[in-house]
Amino acid sequence: MKLTLALILMCMLYLPVEIIGQERINLQVKKMPIAEVLASIEQQTGYRFLYSDDLPALKNKITLNAKNANINQVLEELVMHTPLTFNSLPDKLIVIKEDPAKKDIKVTGLVYNEKGIPIPGVSVQVKNTTIGTATDSVGRFSLIVPDGNVVLIFTSIGYNYKEEALNNRRDLNISLVTAAQSLEKVVVIGYGTQRKRDLTGTITSIGGDDIAKMPNTNPISSLQGKVAGLTIVNSGRAGAAPTVRIRGVNSTGNSDPLYVVDGVFQTNIDYLNPGDIESIEVLRDPSSIAIFGLQGGNGVIIVTTKRAAKGQTRVSFQSSVGIQKVVNKIKLTDAEGFKKLYDMQLQNLNAPAFDYTNYTANTDWQDLIFQHARINNNTLTVANSSEKSATLFSLGYNVQEGVLKYDKYKKLIVRLNQELRITDNIKIGGDVTGFYWKEDAPTTDVISYALRAAPIVPVQADEDLYYSMPSFQRAQIANPVARINQFKNNVIRDGYRAVGNIFAETKILRTFTWRSSFYADLGFDNLRGYTPLPYRYINLGEKGGATDTTFNNLARTSVTQEQVQTRKFQQDHTLTLFKKVNKQHITGLVGFTTLFIGSTRVGGSRTDTILNIPRDPDFWYLDIVNPNNPLSNLGNGTEEAFMSFFARVNYSYANKYLLNLSYRRDGSSKFSKANRWGNFGSIGLGWVLSEEAFFKKISSIDFLKLRGAWGTVGSGMGLPPHLYLPGVTIRSSGVFGDRVYPSVTPEYVPDPNLHWEVVRGIDVGIDARLLNNRLSSEITFYDRTTKDIITNITLPGTAGNYTYKTNLGTIANKGLEVTIGWRDKVGDFRYGISANYSYNKNKVTSIGDNINFEILGNNGANRTATGLSIGYFYGYRQIGIYQTASDLERMPVLPTSRVGDIAFEDVNNDGLIDSDDRVYLGTPFPPHNFGGALNVGYKGLDVLVEAQGVAGNKVYVQRRTATFAILNYEVNRLNAWNGPGSSNVEPILDASRGNNYLFSSYFLERGDYLRVRMLQIGYNIPQKLFQKATIKQLRVYISGQNIVTFSKTTGYTPEAPLGDPIAAGADNGLYPVPAVYSVGLNVAF
Amino acid sequence: MKSYITYTCFLKLMMCLLVTSLVCAGCKKGFLDRNPQGKYTSDTYPYPSGTGPYDTYLFAIYAELRSFNVHSQAFICATGIRSDDGDKGSTPSDGGADAIDMDNFPVQPNNIFVNTLWVGYYNLINKANIAISQIRNSNTVNASEEIKKQSEGEARFLRAYGYFMLVRLFGRVPLIDQVFDDPAAQSNVPQSSPELIYAFIEEDLKFAAQHLPLTWDAEKFPGRLTKGAANGLLAKVYLTQKKWAQAMATADLVMKSGQYNLNTPYDKIFTEEGENSSESVFEVQATASFVTPTANGVQYASIMGVRGTGNWDMGWGWYTPSRNLDTSYEAGDPRRRRTILYTTGDSAISLYGEILPAGLPNLMYNHKVLTSPVMRRTVGSLSGNWMNIRILRYADVVLMYAEAANELGGAANIAAARTALNTVRTRARGGNNSILPDITTDNQAELREAIRRERRAELAMEHDRFFDLVRWGIAEQTLHAVGKTNFRNDRDVLLPIPRTQIDLSKNVLTQNPGYPN
Repeated sequence: MKLTLALILMCMLYLPVEIIGQERINLQVKKMPIAEVLASIEQQTGYRFLYSDDLPALKNKITLNAKNANINQVLEELVMHTPLTFNSLPDKLIVIKEDPAKKDIKVTGLVYNEKGIPIPGVSVQVKNTTIGTATDSVGRFSLIVPDGNVVLIFTSIGYNYKEEALNNRRDLNISLVTAAQSLEKVVVIGYGTQRKRDLTGTITSIGGDDIAKMPNTNPISSLQGKVAGLTIVNSGRAGAAPTVRIRGVNSTGNSDPLYVVDGVFQTNIDYLNPGDIESIEVLRDPSSIAIFGLQGGNGVIIVTTKRAAKGQTRVSFQSSVGIQKVVNKIKLTDAEGFKKLYDMQLQNLNAPAFDYTNYTANTDWQDLIFQHARINNNTLTVANSSEKSATLFSLGYNVQEGVLKYDKYKKLIVRLNQELRITDNIKIGGDVTGFYWKEDAPTTDVISYALRAAPIVPVQADEDLYYSMPSFQRAQIANPVARINQFKNNVIRDGYRAVGNIFAETKILRTFTWRSSFYADLGFDNLRGYTPLPYRYINLGEKGGATDTTFNNLARTSVTQEQVQTRKFQQDHTLTLFKKVNKQHITGLVGFTTLFIGSTRVGGSRTDTILNIPRDPDFWYLDIVNPNNPLSNLGNGTEEAFMSFFARVNYSYANKYLLNLSYRRDGSSKFSKANRWGNFGSIGLGWVLSEEAFFKKISSIDFLKLRGAWGTVGSGMGLPPHLYLPGVTIRSSGVFGDRVYPSVTPEYVPDPNLHWEVVRGIDVGIDARLLNNRLSSEITFYDRTTKDIITNITLPGTAGNYTYKTNLGTIANKGLEVTIGWRDKVGDFRYGISANYSYNKNKVTSIGDNINFEILGNNGANRTATGLSIGYFYGYRQIGIYQTASDLERMPVLPTSRVGDIAFEDVNNDGLIDSDDRVYLGTPFPPHNFGGALNVGYKGLDVLVEAQGVAGNKVYVQRRTATFAILNYEVNRLNAWNGPGSSNVEPILDASRGNNYLFSSYFLERGDYLRVRMLQIGYNIPQKLFQKATIKQLRVYISGQNIVTFSKTTGYTPEAPLGDPIAAGADNGLYPVPAVYSVGLNVAF
Repeated sequence: MKSYITYTCFLKLMMCLLVTSLVCAGCKKGFLDRNPQGKYTSDTYPYPSGTGPYDTYLFAIYAELRSFNVHSQAFICATGIRSDDGDKGSTPSDGGADAIDMDNFPVQPNNIFVNTLWVGYYNLINKANIAISQIRNSNTVNASEEIKKQSEGEARFLRAYGYFMLVRLFGRVPLIDQVFDDPAAQSNVPQSSPELIYAFIEEDLKFAAQHLPLTWDAEKFPGRLTKGAANGLLAKVYLTQKKWAQAMATADLVMKSGQYNLNTPYDKIFTEEGENSSESVFEVQATASFVTPTANGVQYASIMGVRGTGNWDMGWGWYTPSRNLDTSYEAGDPRRRRTILYTTGDSAISLYGEILPAGLPNLMYNHKVLTSPVMRRTVGSLSGNWMNIRILRYADVVLMYAEAANELGGAANIAAARTALNTVRTRARGGNNSILPDITTDNQAELREAIRRERRAELAMEHDRFFDLVRWGIAEQTLHAVGKTNFRNDRDVLLPIPRTQIDLSKNVLTQNPGYPN
């Protein structure tokens, strides 16, 4: 080196310029440092090089193959991928130095997965800098780096994190490894995200694809059977929201979960388009929901809507069209059966036979009110993202008809999401969802009329002339067809809703992130209604009376208008800390939030006593009726507010030891000042055994985590505001003669000490992945207690029949949740099978701590008492039918028991049947819930089968207990007892036998069912077929939802309503849950 | 350099904190203090001053008199269908066992109407207790002692009426005379004996009789409770307990008050025009208009209304007059056709000259609840929710006087009883002297029979027949004679305590004798 320096000094003395390039060079080197290459050129030729030994690039290794090249060509190649340049001086002297212009190096590359398929949207970043980009739609990226020795970081959701040293390469081929399935997946938790592997609570995440592919207009309906511990009871009504229960019933009051949609607290997600959902997280245990405080007690469902993926421009369109139909009609008697049973009944009552002379029809009323209904879902999504901004626009349009005629629901959803990165540290963004819905709802009482109307009545004589029911049910039952036609499209409900937010986020000192968000949710619902004139009715003559035609000439047309405005404002401010020190990861969060909810409602109606308003919606405004006509109006409103402070720490050490802590202080306007504020919190611990050195040897287990969490939350959902104040109602009035005076009466009995329910619970779980991540399982045990449950109790007669809400007692829910999945691939054949099962034992630990009364529901059919399930069925147990007079002698009886009556079990063996013989007959809440899915794929073809069911509960067939008139019979009554030995189940047809209407197991059916929830066959059309079009993906599918249900129940659906915990499980002629057959298309450009 | 970074970060942090503190300041104190919107509480209600300070609470008790649970289907079942005046009516199995058992006995503890009555009357009593508590304890209004006493009297009358119904229907019932501040814990009260209940009723009614006015402004408050109503009801309470002297004296107070007479012709009493006439002592007030066809009325007339079609679709056709009632009238008694609406033969014509259609499910309907065609058209409804319910008529008071006097005995009393009885017969005669001759006997037993016959004819299809049979001790024989052979004196004179209420009370309430547990 010293020689070189001496030469340099020597050379400096020479003068320029001599042309270089005469000498030819032959050089073949492999991975040789540049300095050595230069040395070998010096040996081969007369050139001498001048350079500083300190230049780092001289150590770069290079491969060269020069044959008969001139010095310029060789040197060009030599410095090409380096920051160096050269400069010729006279006397074959060449100066090698750093080129300032070449300091930034351009690197390009391709990122692909194990299968060699390019991955778009991968984030590429230079380590320890903010320089970064993302791969484009074909997995390519280009990036300017400061020097050739930087380290690049590649990250993408669903793939393992990868660091790659550049080593002066200019073009990279990067292969990413799919993340050990969903473990590296980030799940959304309250006010942030967390890696699934770091969770200590129980959270299940469902991808948007799993929701979008179900033909439901309400996204929540699609979760049925997919999450252990989540019970969904669907309604078949067009546009109706299902009943959702997380881990059983925690309260005797409202048990609905909280929905958090992109941060906004909601009570439903009706306004979302299934196609817009990125993921839904179901938070079930108290440690996960503690951060939501007072509103989270029944569990939390977090919904995240789609965002534009980084570096992506994508247009996609999803559409499906389907037909819904009623699969299980209720089996009723036809005209012949009806006559037989009614005759028997009259005979048993010693009443004269009915005169059927004019009633010769055989009408199936069910067939006349149901239809094959259409369902159609469409979503168009346009996403674009660049270095500085990300935009997503989506348009959704859903139409659902109900299986009940004239039932129709439409929704139109427009969403715009925009995010701007102003600097590397400041980000702002916003979201706007515009929602329009319109509903044409018929009166659903038509279903119960159709179940009850006598089949012997003909339908109609002409368009405006219907037959009325026979005298034995005329006063109570309307002609179902007349009713559905009279009220078809008479009420137009529609509404607009705008939900939006803006946020700003800034990074401080790289460790901290501040985020402020403001949300608004404004709703405007309208109703316009019309009461038409009634039809004319033919009353068929009975007992020799003449058949006549009547028309109610006292009826008048009227119109109604109503508007409801709802408003919700929420703000969240959070400061998040993220710090990594050696093996320690710590994420901290502190925050503040407020929520205001208000509503205003006005409405009125006017009756036109002189003119008949036409049946045309264009006229249905109040002003169509002269204001001198009778009118009535209404107006009311609500306001409530919440304010909260919260904090959370997530800590992990070496990915092995996990600690999660959370805290929330919540205040609510619903409670009196003394009971307004409360503290909630949780602690979670986790231990990833598979990260321990001693565990690494067990190669068959890829991941194993033990976790446990404890938390306490409050539950005050669904409580009307201001229950602690002595509200009065001013609706009832004093009347004297024809004068009407206002009166005041308490609306309810206030409980000034009312406070929220306190939910405490512990979760213990084990998560494992085995056999190369093919087998995954999650097992969780939980034990949760709700203290001070709030119940809407109707005080017994002596207290004046008022409703009273008070804190009552304690309910425990203990359970087990198991989720198991297997996923594998054999050549082009791939398959996956998953199953979930949950068991929940609901037990009222104590009730009546603050009440001296029994808690009854449904006229005593449901009872809530210490030691048993909430709202269990309580009554007599049927053991048969008293067949003969000697049975009455031989067996215990009620004082009024007669032959043909239901024989009840003498439970206490005292020789007679009385109210002490009533026992636990079952629970309306299914203790066992299960679901499963099988996915099979071969090349472009995929098949999905999903099944779901419940077991262990009972359904109360309440629709059979009605005695207010002679109603059509269900076919079980064809087997009614009519002599010794005829039936040991069905009692005699005699409405005067009150004993048979005592609540007993006779009216209960086993609620177990297994339903094929989904069968879908899809095909991804190979890309080569449409290469010229810019289509990236095209999938077509056919599917059937709810196609088969195995069940012992006799109603339209085994899913009896569970909405009211103390009076649940009664089937009173529910709206059918239909089967849906559909075809669909997903296309992406 | 380093200090510069720290400085900008500090600045940012300060900005964020500033935003938060501004946001917090905007919502700090009042944010959680939200008032009910468009709703009063009992503390914020601006009590009207014009109608008397406590009227708003009193009127709520009156409103309860019109409720379905108090004076509607269950009331008609228990007071009417159980008696020999009428049958269940409608179609044979309409109403099922609950209704059929009311007609034929025994009524089961799970009978829906039994629970309805229990809930209804306790609701009425609770409203009265609320009003009494307001009058005694509230400082929101300043009122004279006189107004306070009068208002309390009005509330106590209605409470007494509630208990009088309960004690006659159920016998032993819980005695509740206050508003509980924690009802869920406190209001589970065991039953008291009928003697205690009667004593309580008498106290309330005596107080009411002392403080209620003789009359009200006939323009503003027709039918509002008076001294006469209190004494009239008190007379019935005494009569029920066989306290003959008090009954006679109290009825006499009403008769001497100068407020009532028998001048209203019998066929007018039950029409809309006959409402709040000089015959009326206590009448449940109801009204209806085209705009409000039901809310200010009571579903009473329509339950018994003709069960026909078209213009005759007036109701459910319940509580139809029995054959026994039809044949019980003396020859030519015009009250028969005013009470019974026949649907067959030449008599099938209404008070208003409307001819009834053929083929109706029942032979007879209650003519006393037939509404006027004019009102049906005016209100635009056939259901007659505007029909008042005649709870206590002057003729009833006169007959109570007669009965008490006769039972007391002695020639003077028997003569007074006979005179009173004959005043009722005179009015019933309607000027036709060939019918309903005066009763002339001075034999106590014969006069007793005559008074009982008269009570039945005069008050048929109203609400006293069953209670009369029970207090005369002839319920079993009378009901067996009309075919209600299940009736047993040791059980069916009282209704069973509703099973639901016993369950709710955790067996603090106990069942009446003869009924299954």
